[in-house]
Order: sequence, then C-alpha cells, then structure tokens
Amino acid sequence: MSWLVVARKDFEDSIRSRWLVGLTAVFVLLISAAAYFARPEPGQEVSANAILQLAGDFFVGTLVPLIALVVAYNAITGEQDSGSLKLLLSLPHSRGDVVFGKVAGRSAALSTAIIAGFVLPAIVLAIGPFTLEIGAYLGYTLLVALLASVFVAIAVGWSAAAPSQRIALGGAIGLYFLFVPFWDFIQLRLQLAIGSLPEWVPLTSETVGNLLFLANPSSAYSGLTGALFAGEFLSGETASLQLSALSMLLFWLLAAPLVGLLIFERRDL
Amino acid sequence: MSAIQLSRVTKRFGDVVAVRELDLTVEPGEIYGFLGPNGAGKSTTINMLLDFVRPTEGTVEVLDHPVETAGAELRERIGVLPEGFDVYSRLSGRKHIEFAIESKDVDDDPDEILERVGLREAADRDAGGYSKGMRQRLALGMALVGEPELLILDEPSSGLDPGGAKEMREIVEREADRGATVFFSSHVLGQVEAVCDRVGILHEGELVTEDSIEGLRADSDTEETLILTVDDATDDDLTAVRALDGVSGAAVDGTTVTVSCESGAKTDVISTLSAAGIEIQDIETESTSLEELFLSYTDGEGVVEKEGGQTGAASHEPPTPEGSQ
Repeated sequence: MSWLVVARKDFEDSIRSRWLVGLTAVFVLLISAAAYFARPEPGQEVSANAILQLAGDFFVGTLVPLIALVVAYNAITGEQDSGSLKLLLSLPHSRGDVVFGKVAGRSAALSTAIIAGFVLPAIVLAIGPFTLEIGAYLGYTLLVALLASVFVAIAVGWSAAAPSQRIALGGAIGLYFLFVPFWDFIQLRLQLAIGSLPEWVPLTSETVGNLLFLANPSSAYSGLTGALFAGEFLSGETASLQLSALSMLLFWLLAAPLVGLLIFERRDL
Repeated sequence: MSAIQLSRVTKRFGDVVAVRELDLTVEPGEIYGFLGPNGAGKSTTINMLLDFVRPTEGTVEVLDHPVETAGAELRERIGVLPEGFDVYSRLSGRKHIEFAIESKDVDDDPDEILERVGLREAADRDAGGYSKGMRQRLALGMALVGEPELLILDEPSSGLDPGGAKEMREIVEREADRGATVFFSSHVLGQVEAVCDRVGILHEGELVTEDSIEGLRADSDTEETLILTVDDATDDDLTAVRALDGVSGAAVDGTTVTVSCESGAKTDVISTLSAAGIEIQDIETESTSLEELFLSYTDGEGVVEKEGGQTGAASHEPPTPEGSQ
C-alpha cells in the first residue's frame, strides 16, 4: 500500500512541525475559554456538551475549515517548489499515491491536534462542575476531525490541481470564503434561480434546498452535530437527512482529491 | 532488451524545443555518460525517463516498458538521483533511507547504506541541517536502496567536493560491477571520462555525438586546434567557419578564436575569417585534446574539469555561461 507509506511519512513530517503543537494549544485554550463562559452557578452542574455547543457556535465551524485549508493548501505545490516532490516520485509511488497519501497524512496530523486539543481539557473539566457525556463529547470531537479532514481533502485536491504556490494560496482563500461566509447567500440565490422547476423534474424544491445546504461540508457538519447534541445521531426524524450529510462529507473526502489528481496526472512537473 | 530506449523523442515547452528527435539506447550493464552544457536538454530527457515530463512526440522505454503506461512499479527496479530536489528538512537522514526502503518494499539495512554514502555519523540529524553535498549523498543513498537494475543519476557530482566526486565515481563503478546499468548526466567531462563505457553529447536538444571514450580520443587525434589571435570577432562571425567542410566546431572568447578542424581545413578557416573582415594577428596550432573536442561539439559551452576537480580554465577556453558549478 504505497499511499500508506506516503501518508505515514507526511504524518511524521507534520507532527514534527511547530504548527501542530501550536494548534493543539489553540484548541485547548479555546475549549477552556468556552468552558469559562459556560461555567455553571456555584452548586450547580452543567453538561460538558454546553461547552461544545458554545465552542461550535463561536469558533469550530469557522476556524477549523480555515486551519485545514492553511495546513494543506501547499501539500503538493509546496513540495513541487522545494523539489522534494522529485524525491518522492523517484521512488515507486504514483501521483495518486502522493495525493491520497497527503490527504491521509495531513488529516491524521490535524486530527491528532484536534483530538488532543479537545480531550485534554475535557479530562480537567470532568473533575470540575461539569458532567461529561463521554459518547457525545468523543463523537463531537470525531465530527470536528472529520470536518477538518474534508477541508484538508479539498485543499490537497486544489493543491494538486494548482499550477503554482500563489494560485494554490489564492484558491484556498477563495474556497474558504465560498464555503464559510458566503455559502448561505449563494445557496439562497441558487435556490431562487431554480425555485420554479418544471413539472417533469422529479425533485421538489425542498430536496434541492437540502441538497444545496448539504453540499457545503460546513453545513453538513453542523446538521450532524446538532443531531448529536439532541441525542438523535443518525436516528429520529432527520435520520435520512443526516445520512445524506454524512455521505456528502465522505463524497468530498474522495471527490476533491480525485479531481485534483486528474489534473495533476496530466501535468509536467 | 535495452535498459533505456528513446525513439525520435521531441519535447516542446510552448515554443521552446528542449529535446529534438532524440534517439538513444543504453545497453544493459553499461555505464553511459550523458554529457552536455547546462540547458542542453539533459534534465528534460531524464525527467521523461522518470515520467515527470511527457514527450511531445516519440516513445520512451525504460527496462523495456513504456514509462507512460508502466506505472510506479517500474521505479521499484530503478534508483534515481534527481536534479533540483530537496530533502524533508524535519526528517533525519536515517528516516529518509527508511522511507526509501519502505517505499521499495525491501529489507535493506539503513546503516549499511548510510555508511556507503558517508552519512553514518550524521544519520540521526535532521536533513534540513545538511549541506548541499550531504543532501546529494543522501539522495544517492536513497537511489541505492533495493539494488536497482538501473541507476539514473542527474548531475550526481554537483555540490560534492573533489573527494566526494571521487567517492561517487567509486560507487558508480561498484554498482556497475554488481551488474547494474548506470545512466548519468554531467556537464563536466572529467567526471564522465573516468568511468563511462560510452558517452553521448547533447547540445541544444540534439545528440551531436555518441561514442566510447576511446572512440572520441581517436577522433580527437585526427583533429587539430587552431588558436587565432584576432582584433575583434563575435560568435556570428563564426557561423561561416562552422559551415566549412572539416570543421567540427569553433568558439570565440574576446580576441581568441578557437577552431577544431582537420589539418586540411586550416587555410579555409583563415581565409573565411579574413573575408569576414577579421584581422588575424597570431596563429597557433595544437593537436586537439578530448576537452577541446567536447568544447567544439558544444560550440564552447561546456565545462572542462580535470581529474581532481578544479574547474579547468583551459588556456583558451571561452567563459562558461553557467559559470557556477
């Protein structure tokens, strides 16, 4: 499994870099800040989920995609600029091994920072006036890691397709604005544009709306975490919608690097 | 059966033709020196062997497989020292070798490889702190992993001191003794001369000559070098000289014109230059050395390096455009 060898090397390389330690510290600080704001009145106990909900509202959905794009936008272009890509491709790795190995290695590295950054403070919180629902807390942490991995996959795919480092960076910034602040607006516009579908199209405008909503990994993720906190993860009324959200995340995880690879395959290095 | 076979290969980058209708065959077990000045198309050719770059026309086969369709498995049988590469600065030298071992799925001993390329002492340091020469040794070590059938080395001596360049040659010879084919490029004749069974000289994307070192020497023996001191001459003035029968090359450096030619062509050369309005102040004749032959094939764009590694300013050698090396 050649891509696994590439993934392991990329992971080992990434965890030696200072950004990973820095990010872990940032996550610990942000969770601690959320805990401070969500702290209960003396004598009362609050679920640790409240911290996560606060954290979710105030930084996870906006910050995690940004961090993922920043750590991964140069995954391929950076190696091409420095020349280490030549060393990598001189060994028996295909370009596909490189792209998917990078997605796996960098996702694993970023997920390590996220899991450490979320779980370390939880241990401290559990001793304090918080009740920890371990299942929900871990589930949430893993969903954050999945969200991060999806944006890593998008960034690596873009990095493989981009002809230069500058375009890779510009594209990553563009993708961030597309998916995070502007999506609602774009979704609304698209929905209005296709609001009146002809009768023969077997889609209701509600389906189209859901599809557009879920096409954005950030909203697919927030749908899933909402259900998780409501105790209805992959069950209850929205079960099929959640399943679509999860499928959409997995789709991005594979499709974005694949499209990048198709362009990367054709390019002279 | 051949180790490398290029058939009518052309590579264009936009309007620039980097390699033009190149036919080249490297036989199994030989050491082939791919010689030419910087910018002649050597790296482009090597990049096509590795499928980094795809030919505009023609076919490229390595170990009897077309590289474009062979996939990554082909590189399990090849060791590569690429040009213009960089190491992973946060990983140690040993990690790099281990990575190559895992990638090729072999069970070599990393220490043995590190020892061979002289990096045993520095093995556990981050490669980011390595000098250019050490990085070169590290990449060579990665290329040696798995006893490859074919070694492709792009400018292997760059960044190495004379001692390092000598060790590099010894490693190349040892690999050839083991039965490996070695294909290496250089813009320095001295490095190629000492070890190669056969040499190909590439100039402006075309193979201008291909022969054994002995064959080249025999050529150079029948040639003479005419060294003319003139009032003033430009490279354009030499076009007519190069077109003469019996002239294999000409170069100008300030007021010195160097022409490699058969003895019978000397008077033609002198009259052609006079006809172009160039005043000839002094004439000297020498028998041509191998170095001069190389320079003549590449219109003076080459670096002649004597054994031991000093960049040789042969007395009448034109300045080299690449300068550094």
